[in-house]
Amino acid sequence: MNPSAPNARTEQIEIDASARWPVLAFFGSALLWLLLGGVMQLAAAMQLHLPDFLADCAWFTHGRLAPAAQNALVYGWGMNAAFAFGLWLMARLSATTLRHGGWLFVAAKFWNLGVTLGVGGILAGWSTSFELLEMPRFVGLLLLAAYAMIGVWAVTTFSIRNTENVFASQWYLFGAAFWFPWLYAVAQVMLVRTPVRGVIQPVVNAWYVHGLYALWFVPVALAAAYYFIPKILGKPVSNYYLASLGFWWLAVSSAFAGGSRLIGAPVPVWIPTLGIVANMLVVVGVVIVALNLLGTLSGRYAAARASLTLRFILLSVAGFLLAAVMNLALSMRGFAAIVQFTLLDGLRDWLTFYVCFSTAMFGAAYFMLPRLTGREWRFAGLIKLHFGATALGVVLMIVGLAAAGWTQGRLLNDAAVPFADITKALSFWFAYRTVALAVLLLGHLAFLINFVGMACPFNSHGNAPATFRTPPELGLVKGEGHA
Amino acid sequence: MKNGLTLFLGAFVTLALSWGGLLLTAQRQIGSLSQFKDAADEQLYPQPLSGLADQGRLVYQDLGCVTCHTQQVRHEGFGSDLARKWGERGSYARDYIRDQSVLLGQNRLGPDLRNVGSRLGDAKPAEYAEWFYRLLYAPQSVAKGTNMPAHPFLFDVHPVAGRQPSAHALALPSKFAPGPGLEVVPTSRAVALVAYLQSLKDTYDYPIERSRNTPAPKKGGH
Repeated sequence: MNPSAPNARTEQIEIDASARWPVLAFFGSALLWLLLGGVMQLAAAMQLHLPDFLADCAWFTHGRLAPAAQNALVYGWGMNAAFAFGLWLMARLSATTLRHGGWLFVAAKFWNLGVTLGVGGILAGWSTSFELLEMPRFVGLLLLAAYAMIGVWAVTTFSIRNTENVFASQWYLFGAAFWFPWLYAVAQVMLVRTPVRGVIQPVVNAWYVHGLYALWFVPVALAAAYYFIPKILGKPVSNYYLASLGFWWLAVSSAFAGGSRLIGAPVPVWIPTLGIVANMLVVVGVVIVALNLLGTLSGRYAAARASLTLRFILLSVAGFLLAAVMNLALSMRGFAAIVQFTLLDGLRDWLTFYVCFSTAMFGAAYFMLPRLTGREWRFAGLIKLHFGATALGVVLMIVGLAAAGWTQGRLLNDAAVPFADITKALSFWFAYRTVALAVLLLGHLAFLINFVGMACPFNSHGNAPATFRTPPELGLVKGEGHA
Repeated sequence: MKNGLTLFLGAFVTLALSWGGLLLTAQRQIGSLSQFKDAADEQLYPQPLSGLADQGRLVYQDLGCVTCHTQQVRHEGFGSDLARKWGERGSYARDYIRDQSVLLGQNRLGPDLRNVGSRLGDAKPAEYAEWFYRLLYAPQSVAKGTNMPAHPFLFDVHPVAGRQPSAHALALPSKFAPGPGLEVVPTSRAVALVAYLQSLKDTYDYPIERSRNTPAPKKGGH
């Protein structure tokens, strides 16, 4: 493999050791938010078919609970997990240790303080009601300050790299690290601090929401896919010469795609049109990424299925492709006219955030955490439960939301159907969605228990490998070559 | 790609282009739309919100009504918003310049609210307010079959005994009333919210907007 493999191995152990505590701090908080956000999301979903549930308390009225859950998941789980994974991978690929990790610890505390105040603020009634920017205005600065420390660490680690080449995962991580603070700061200034007038507000909001998904969560997920697929399969990325084109193509086109969320809205028509064109251009980038990733996988699916990490990554890649298809479909005016504002409309962001991003983080965690702690996972059954629940939940959600959204859209477009009848027709699907979310939550709970079992210092070593059938070359003790 | 600087500049230019191209251009185009003075009645439209209604807008924001309700009427030929009588016309950008926060919304789990202030037609404002109060206190009492949650925390429930009954108490059907000897009185937050909801009506049709927002003729027409 690598002539200096023993040296590289030592280096890798050092890198992992330097990243251990910051990553565990971020990932531990991420998992707590995943569970808390999941519980709130479940409760909010129940309120749609049991309207009396928690209705008496202003803190838990549906209009507050649903955005609070979404914010807890996006900023609590999503961002923390992305920080944990991104910092670790950046250090590994730059072949340098993560220095002065203590500061990252401080940043983690501040970030989580910000999210706690933000989610609490929404429940307490300080919501701004702008999608994904609902947190009260005083939280924005706190989050940006905490992020500054984290983002600077990623960029510094990159700039003191000890490697000749810069790998695709690093482009995506670097880009994301840079784009998020800009998107967030602009949105905070233009919507919360000194609000722009009139319908520019929804334009800024759509730009931010689309940017957050397409220029932060998707790049982090793709960084994971570009790293783990070739690494675990032990072969180079196929058609790698196209990867940089794919990166720039995706970045430029999806940066303009936000307007597609405003089809039919009272904004100048060039804004949605530009978004529609951009969404069509995104397809080229998606095809290139698919050529890279699926090309590497082709013929090796059996090996990929043996690795738990790759199973999750496969789900993530499928989510990436499906989300692109959904974005494209929702850009078609005829389709948008029917399903706009329905549950199917919501499926687009769920596919990006959960199926593409979150599953990639699960896969990454199953690879990364044993190496950071030097222990194996404790409960093999819980690993299987987590993967099974995630796969089942994802299928249930996609099928359910698609069917429900289509029904809802068709009824909404038939002016002869009274509104109460639409609610009645959807009540089954609301209950169905609660069940699907509960299945996913069960998987998350299993994951959390396993995480605690591994990270808790007062525990005997576990022995559950993160593989379904252990291929001999993938054991933890053997060398993995260079990062 | 080996050069960190290329990566940095590329990432910078990417977002700078989208920020400038999308947000700044939009801001230049419609960021300073002004009120329109009607030649006939010499009034400026859209008319500003009353102070009470603007407070109600804050209640609307803090309760997260936007989670389930949109505030935009799509134009003829795109969806059936007009057929559902959610407005007399599609919404224009100019309608929103009076709003401090513009909450177009993403979900229609409930009906659109952009013109909810004119939905009951000719009902008197007081009757209309009563309808909204009942909707907020006990949604089923006016909208049977809805899954809208009740908002009892916007109301005070107190015993009538030993005091003069409130003039603002709701007249609820016994099925939804809290019990004998108790009356339900809207709090100031409920009053503000209802004032806001009643202010939601884009009934004025701007002559300058009508032509701009008409869809292009279909192919084959002239």
